[in-house]
Amino acid sequence: MTDKKAANSGAIRAVWKLLASVKLTIFILIALAAVSIIGTFVEQNKPIETYYQAYGQKWADIIMFLKFDSMYNSEWFSVMMLMLLVNIVACTYERFPSKWRSLLKKDKSFDPSMIDRLSTRRSFTLGKNTADTKSHILAVLKKKRYKFQEFKAGDGTVSIFAWKGLIGRFGSDITHVSLFVIILGAVIGSYWGYKDFRAVIVGETIRVPDVDFHLRLDKFWMEYYPSGQIKQYNSMLTVVEDGKDVLNKHIWVNEPLFHKGVRFYQSSYGTAWNMVEEIEISLKNIKTNEVSKSVNIKWGGSAEIPGTEYVARLSGYVSDFAFDEDSRTVYSKSGEVKNPAVQIDIYKEGDLISRPWLFFNFPGLIQAIPKTDHDLILTGFRNLPYSGLSITKDPGTNIVWIGSGIMGVGFYLAFFVFYKRIMVRIKPGSDAEVGIAGVINKNQLGFEKEFRILVETITGIEEDYDDDLEGP
Amino acid sequence: MEQPKVILSLMFFTMAFAFYAMTTLCYIGNWVFRKDWMGQTATIMSYIATFAMTMILIFRAAESGHAPFSNLYESMVLFIWCLNVGYLWMEYKYKIKVMGVFVMGIALLSMLAASLLPYRFKSVEPLNPALQSKWKWMINLFEPAGLQNYAIGWLDFHVFTTFVGYAAFAISFGVAIMYLLKVRNEEKGGGNFLVERFPKARILDELGYRGIIWGFPFLSIGIVTGAVWANYAWGTYWSWDPKETWSLITWFIYAAYLHARVTRGWRGKKAAYIAILGFLAIIFLYWGVSFILPGLHAYA
Repeated sequence: MTDKKAANSGAIRAVWKLLASVKLTIFILIALAAVSIIGTFVEQNKPIETYYQAYGQKWADIIMFLKFDSMYNSEWFSVMMLMLLVNIVACTYERFPSKWRSLLKKDKSFDPSMIDRLSTRRSFTLGKNTADTKSHILAVLKKKRYKFQEFKAGDGTVSIFAWKGLIGRFGSDITHVSLFVIILGAVIGSYWGYKDFRAVIVGETIRVPDVDFHLRLDKFWMEYYPSGQIKQYNSMLTVVEDGKDVLNKHIWVNEPLFHKGVRFYQSSYGTAWNMVEEIEISLKNIKTNEVSKSVNIKWGGSAEIPGTEYVARLSGYVSDFAFDEDSRTVYSKSGEVKNPAVQIDIYKEGDLISRPWLFFNFPGLIQAIPKTDHDLILTGFRNLPYSGLSITKDPGTNIVWIGSGIMGVGFYLAFFVFYKRIMVRIKPGSDAEVGIAGVINKNQLGFEKEFRILVETITGIEEDYDDDLEGP
Repeated sequence: MEQPKVILSLMFFTMAFAFYAMTTLCYIGNWVFRKDWMGQTATIMSYIATFAMTMILIFRAAESGHAPFSNLYESMVLFIWCLNVGYLWMEYKYKIKVMGVFVMGIALLSMLAASLLPYRFKSVEPLNPALQSKWKWMINLFEPAGLQNYAIGWLDFHVFTTFVGYAAFAISFGVAIMYLLKVRNEEKGGGNFLVERFPKARILDELGYRGIIWGFPFLSIGIVTGAVWANYAWGTYWSWDPKETWSLITWFIYAAYLHARVTRGWRGKKAAYIAILGFLAIIFLYWGVSFILPGLHAYA
């Protein structure tokens, strides 16, 4: 029974030891790097057919099974990230308390014989007695901004422990905390945020998801370079709350509108596929081939056709004509202007007599006004541009930025603030013998130089040193 | 009518190329023949090459009216510039000229790669809408002096910090190779007189680490500023675009390096291998992603 318990606790301890090991950290990091590669070669979040076309049945099945098509959102990838976090927590739990205690303990006393065991050390005398030697060394340490504590042993030996850059030792912990903050922000964003896209036509008001205001597009325009390349595209937006205009903003790519936690980005532009601004039609006599003066009709408007008793109303537009046999409806096959067609309602003395589709590319395909000599031709049309707006709400973004800021602090402390310790032992006597040693856990090369300069400042004697770092 | 500034920048490129070839040769000469004058000449030529690269960046900026970081060619010039400045600073600080053989060698290879780029990656093009990101406060600050075109933004900051990072990693890559050669030579009980002229393994290990502790924060700043910019331009700070993902991959690798260095059994050789792996990932992140993988970063 107790054996079993012991075995159990032994197994638990082994698992814990593994979880709290830095080797596991290295393993997880390399594994994360390796698997992340997959998603850069397999295109992400495409329709399923794409994978079957690109990889064939067998491989596409494997991709779907392993969720390589959306791997960064998959459970297994999240589990790997979670493993990293668990590992960080375990490592911190295992090491941080003792580190905290040893670094922040009030009593910095140490065994002076340690000095003889360190590699960065010197011994010398200043030709002064113990007390004077001590005050001289302390003055130098103070000038170099070291904090210190001094101790006196029973035999009169004085020892000094001096340190600086202590906070640098916490850089790695702060960095680890920052990772948690960043991931917290990302998780908040994925739970409480959304991303939407709207193609908005000038004058249109859209409802914004989840919030109590509407958005109206007042104007959309493009700017071009002299060479004809697009320089910028712009939208003038108005926020409408309870029917009142409350905010007006000019947005462009890189300059979004932010209102009540929702951001509106200029993300694309295009021409509407189901609306047109204005068309130009002409009446044609199919007997004489005579074409009369053209007439313009705005979207939703109507116009009399000169010289006839017909009234034409513009009632439909598709940019790429297609007809669905089953539902007997007309639709646009694509968003591109490939086969533009407009639908005209033709009235004669108030009666609807015909509703033809006029094809820009195929004039006269179907006679517009049957059983007469008249046909209508679409001679021109002006597209309605739309402004593509991305609408996002991500309450986690600021948390991610805060986390990034903390990471910056952590890096600065971890990489550029070094915890330096100087230990000094001054033996009793009128010509007191000094032993001094320095310890640093990073930047050994820089520290050796700094230590040499410290000793030179104390002794006032320049050392004959070899600064040639090159080999023999 | 070819623009004179472009011709000048091409002239400086040719000049820099020649100087990188000569400085590399002189560093090799200094290494093999141990002639001080060769080492001094190498250093001077390296300074001249840096000057020429600086001039390319200036003329490019003058020609396009924006910071010269907008296509692959300009980013290569920036990379080499950072690499060279970083190296010269290290040479000044540590006085190890053997490193010049490797680091200037990388600079020379990069020059070769840049010169082989097809024209469409080199030409001075106006910025597309997404690349026009300037800090408003800076535009306002510069406006009274009529310098508002020279204001910079998240994009410039993102590119610059990223390339400082890349350059630091390139140096640590060169040093990691030297370290492995040195250790292997020591394990065989010496024998290669050229490798014996390398600094001690302990020093090489330390210098490689110094490179990475500069590279890692700068890469991180590059990733974060890129995310800030993406948040403005694309409406999301992270979209797992291949370039973003590869930057995270390299970040993971160098994070592994930093942990390896504090772990018994992993410091030294294994850490050096990770540093080499990291730089190979950087090369893929920089060139591979642009040429092989599709995505938002396709332009550079």
